[in-house]
Amino acid sequence: MFRHTPFRIATLLALLVGMVIASFFAGYFGLEIMSEIIVLAILVLALDLVAGFGGMVSLCHGALLGFGAYAFAVFTALLGWDPSVAMIAAIAATGAVGWIIGALCSGSHGIYFIMVTLAFGQMAYSFVFGAAFLGGDDGMSGITRPDLSAIGVDLNDSRSFVLYALVCAVIAYLFAAQFLRSGLGRSLVGVQQSEQRVRALGLVPWRTKAHAFGVSGLIAGLAGVLAAQHIMYISPGLLSWTVSGEALVVVILGGLGTLVGPLVGAVAFVLIKHEVAAVTPYWHLVVGVILIAVVMSRANGIFGFVEVRLNRRRAAKVAATDVKTDAKLGKTEGQVRDA
Amino acid sequence: MDVGFWLFQTLNALQLSMLLFLLSVGLTVIFGLMHFVNLAHGSLYALGAYVAASTAGVVGYWGAFFLAPIAVAAIGFVLYALMIRRMRKSGPMAQVLVTFGLIFVLLDLTRIIWGDLALGIQLPPLLSGRISLGSLEYPIYRMFIIALGLAVFAALALVLGRTQIGAMIRAGVDNDAMAACLGINVEKLFFAVFCVGCALAGLAGVIAAPILSVTPDMGLQILIPTLIVIVIGGLGSLKGAFAGSLIYGFVQTFGAVLLPSFASVIVYALLAVVLVIRPTGLFPAKA
Repeated sequence: MFRHTPFRIATLLALLVGMVIASFFAGYFGLEIMSEIIVLAILVLALDLVAGFGGMVSLCHGALLGFGAYAFAVFTALLGWDPSVAMIAAIAATGAVGWIIGALCSGSHGIYFIMVTLAFGQMAYSFVFGAAFLGGDDGMSGITRPDLSAIGVDLNDSRSFVLYALVCAVIAYLFAAQFLRSGLGRSLVGVQQSEQRVRALGLVPWRTKAHAFGVSGLIAGLAGVLAAQHIMYISPGLLSWTVSGEALVVVILGGLGTLVGPLVGAVAFVLIKHEVAAVTPYWHLVVGVILIAVVMSRANGIFGFVEVRLNRRRAAKVAATDVKTDAKLGKTEGQVRDA
Repeated sequence: MDVGFWLFQTLNALQLSMLLFLLSVGLTVIFGLMHFVNLAHGSLYALGAYVAASTAGVVGYWGAFFLAPIAVAAIGFVLYALMIRRMRKSGPMAQVLVTFGLIFVLLDLTRIIWGDLALGIQLPPLLSGRISLGSLEYPIYRMFIIALGLAVFAALALVLGRTQIGAMIRAGVDNDAMAACLGINVEKLFFAVFCVGCALAGLAGVIAAPILSVTPDMGLQILIPTLIVIVIGGLGSLKGAFAGSLIYGFVQTFGAVLLPSFASVIVYALLAVVLVIRPTGLFPAKA
């Protein structure tokens, strides 16, 4: 079950404060990287929700992100809707698609689940790639950002956009955390542990899974909308399975099933990618080696590793104080007996 | 759309199917026996093609034809000793991720060693040219691929179904703990099967090299079709890999000709339908 430990809250606050401070010192390129980090962070949040808490390792989250981005583009560029209305509609549509995929895949487990989600993702990718009205291979442009001039914010400014995306990320995180603490979120964890027992308790596993996937879809849709607003141009590459694979890599690097860890992973991944890419064109090699090392070390990612260490230290301390109190008690008992 | 057209497309479909079969059979048997998901199988195929492309100039096509599978099996040996043996007991997710990392590493290693440019390979005189089938002229080399695929299928079916080694492998797929109790060295068997699977991936690489260009991302491109094949067929079964390859090859080829606008979506839709109706594929190794 998901809990906010002091360490998690401290990490979240550190990330948030760090981002806000960085946004005031970063140049244009730095702000672009920050937007990329935020979009990825929201996507991996969505993925960790289903993979870490529901055991549903999805390879279609890239496609869900792409769906959100394309839905937003269609609503604004083709239908001419107001960006804020289009944003809500795109997020809702992605959530609905997520629910349907979750419902259809709920019967599959393990490697089959990975494959069937991959199939749905690739289906969306090939469709968009071939669809002339979506621009096909060339993608779509003419996407507008929401107009927040009523509250004095110009989103076409990079810094304002980063802060706006950050607010969206905070909302997404609070939503995910709230979901996991709700009854539905707890039954999701139950489904992961044993579908049979959950069924015996009178719950319907496929429905729980579908609802969770729908919620995850909403969050992935938000990531997609932000990605579209950020680059203001979208291409089928957003839906590619390697995007989903990369998101999974980030979740693992950060720490599966910790919700906070993947956010740390997103920051680390984008920074590593840009730092390494500046030195050598072979950044895949470096990321691949890190990934293999992290998975083979059996630690639950960077964040999971630190968290386990901290918990162990605290447990040791508690045990030590217990021994001390025991000894004291023993002493007093002895004194009482003596008397 | 005369008879020649249908024959031509059928041969094309068969050729694609057989190429996929060579790749998927190794992957599916490795999975069935070891419960190990090797996403880097496509990268091994790319390595096979690269080894062939760089040695064919020295030892000729036939030299490369035998050398590449051996080289890829040797690479498989190293991977097994370094990583895969340790990942045997981990869940599917950890295996998917380690081999996903391996894809990244192998992709960049091939780029570092062989560069980004596409390489080609010369056909031997024996297999170049065309063969006439009534009204139709068809490249001999593609007929060779079909024949090779069928031969490999026949040989594997024979070994798995009629020999003692085959019986041991089937016992291992069915229940590895029980097979070990019967005195079968399951670990050794797994290792041998893994190397054979890698060699078949290398073989697929050699025979694909002359018809597809040899590029670093060829492994990634073939990976998804291969996975679709084994998932449609059912993980772990030879029959499933063969049936899955045929289904994929025919749906893809005829889809591209008859319904070009839906061609790319049909295969994925088919996979989704199969998995939703039969979550473990058409011919699962275990009931």
